[in-house]
Amino acid sequence: MRLWREHPHSPCLRETRVIVNGVSIDDTYAEAFGMKATRIVITAASMTWAKHAANAAFGFATSVIACGCEAGIERELSPEETPDGRPGVAGLLFAVSTKELAKQLERRVGQCVLTCPTTAVFAGCTGDEALPLGKNLRYFGDGWQMSKVVAGRRYWRIPVMDGEFLAEETTGLLRSVGGGNFLVLARSTAQALTACEAAVAAIAKTPGAIAPFPGGVVRSGSKVGSKYKALPASTNDAFCPTLRGATKSELSPEVETVLEIVIDAVDDDAMKTAMRAGLDAVCAIGADGGIVRLSAGNYGGKLGQFHYRLREILA
Amino acid sequence: MSGTTLSLRAAPAGRIDMTGVLPEILAGRTAAEIEKIPLRVDGVPVALGECFAVTAGEGEALTIRPEGARLDGLGRDMRTGMLRVEGAAGHYLAQGMRGGELIVDGDAGDCAANGMRGGCLRIAGNAGDWLAAALIGDRAGMGGGVVAVGGNAGDRLGDRMRRGLVLVRGRAGTACGARMRAGTLVVAGGCGTLAGFGLRRGSLILGQAPEAMPACHGDAGIVTLAWLGLLRRHAEAILPGAMPDTSRMHRYMGDLAFGGKGEILVP
Repeated sequence: MRLWREHPHSPCLRETRVIVNGVSIDDTYAEAFGMKATRIVITAASMTWAKHAANAAFGFATSVIACGCEAGIERELSPEETPDGRPGVAGLLFAVSTKELAKQLERRVGQCVLTCPTTAVFAGCTGDEALPLGKNLRYFGDGWQMSKVVAGRRYWRIPVMDGEFLAEETTGLLRSVGGGNFLVLARSTAQALTACEAAVAAIAKTPGAIAPFPGGVVRSGSKVGSKYKALPASTNDAFCPTLRGATKSELSPEVETVLEIVIDAVDDDAMKTAMRAGLDAVCAIGADGGIVRLSAGNYGGKLGQFHYRLREILA
Repeated sequence: MSGTTLSLRAAPAGRIDMTGVLPEILAGRTAAEIEKIPLRVDGVPVALGECFAVTAGEGEALTIRPEGARLDGLGRDMRTGMLRVEGAAGHYLAQGMRGGELIVDGDAGDCAANGMRGGCLRIAGNAGDWLAAALIGDRAGMGGGVVAVGGNAGDRLGDRMRRGLVLVRGRAGTACGARMRAGTLVVAGGCGTLAGFGLRRGSLILGQAPEAMPACHGDAGIVTLAWLGLLRRHAEAILPGAMPDTSRMHRYMGDLAFGGKGEILVP
């Protein structure tokens, strides 16, 4: 990979261009927001069943706008890494408030983990505040639930039809960052997908970060506002290739597809690491793989507390 | 950094009450100051220095060399630090203990860990009767912490126990877990008769079936319990070999005459 700055000869070009492996890096930033998050660990008799529970619990959790939270599997855990010595997965949930996070966590664990055969759920983090995990779900036991304190942590054993559902009483609250992103502008949809798949694979290896959208990739990037007053956001027409002739487009003629990768992370460092991993993976594919530009989504810097400049992250 | 050491000068004529001789009390004191601490030998006040040779050290670490099992009340009401007994302990060991770590290299007498609320008590040898039971006059027994016994335990293990974990690598006597209210007892070698008699809540995990299963316990059949994996990981770090190596156990619920929400688990 090669990163160099191209100094324009023409005085009309005021901006210094940064090219990485043939990919132009926009002088812009991703605008991200402070969020509340938690990590939980789901275990089961096999990895298959742990993932069934996790996929259900972290499904329909792409955006806080309508899903209530953003969630995803952080990584798979070997039996040696889990509290009860069974295979499992660690997952992260992000929401805009502690109250909403607690609501989403309880609903999702109650409907998707409690219901899934052989599963158990544990706190995956500690924090200044505790979020109920099995604390209220225990009442499903109708008085037959049992409390156990192991190594100073309380667990609830709730009788169910395959034996018992084991749930730790609480999990921790993390002050995290959500909405980190970058846009991949490519010559074709296939090439954009290939690059994004590589980026998502690289992000998946980063501890403390998830890409919550389907496959980690978004095609419906949005702008703030709409011509319809009821809508707070609408399609990002400046990056829609089909509207190139009709709107003030950000796309050059060779760009056929734009895909976005959105990242949520447990802290600022994890976000930077994940963005770097994703951007590096796309740049490694480079212009030879059909990648034209990398850009990022922001709202003018007025809404989000965290700004991630692409060029600084790649430097 | 070495702690304070108390070595018994000679086998005492009577029993010595070691109440108040704790790591947190002795920390920072000179040998002369420690020697003035009053003890009771058969109820008679005696200066500590008359019974023990004192080597003052630093920090909250205390080693006692008892030369026999006549030191009662060792670690009573202990809250922090480390107390090591290089030999056998007498009765009432770790009564009301709240924190820290107490290690006994030999056996312990009766009524150890009565009313214990926290910390960790390790007994390398055997423990006497009424381990982790209630203090005399109290309605509830051990209320927290961990007790690990490398050998056998006597009768009435965990009587009226309220919370906490007791691990016994050997065998327990009769009425093991009797009148338990909550908490967890693990006895790798099984136990005598009347196991879980009057059990209200709590778990009695036995490595071998008891001599006779109490009549007032209902057979819940064979079940796989995920929390046993969790407990095993914790227990193995404290006393390896105490927990059964399976999470699939035969469960008996009882005592049905006392609510029936306790359990006896056997492989």
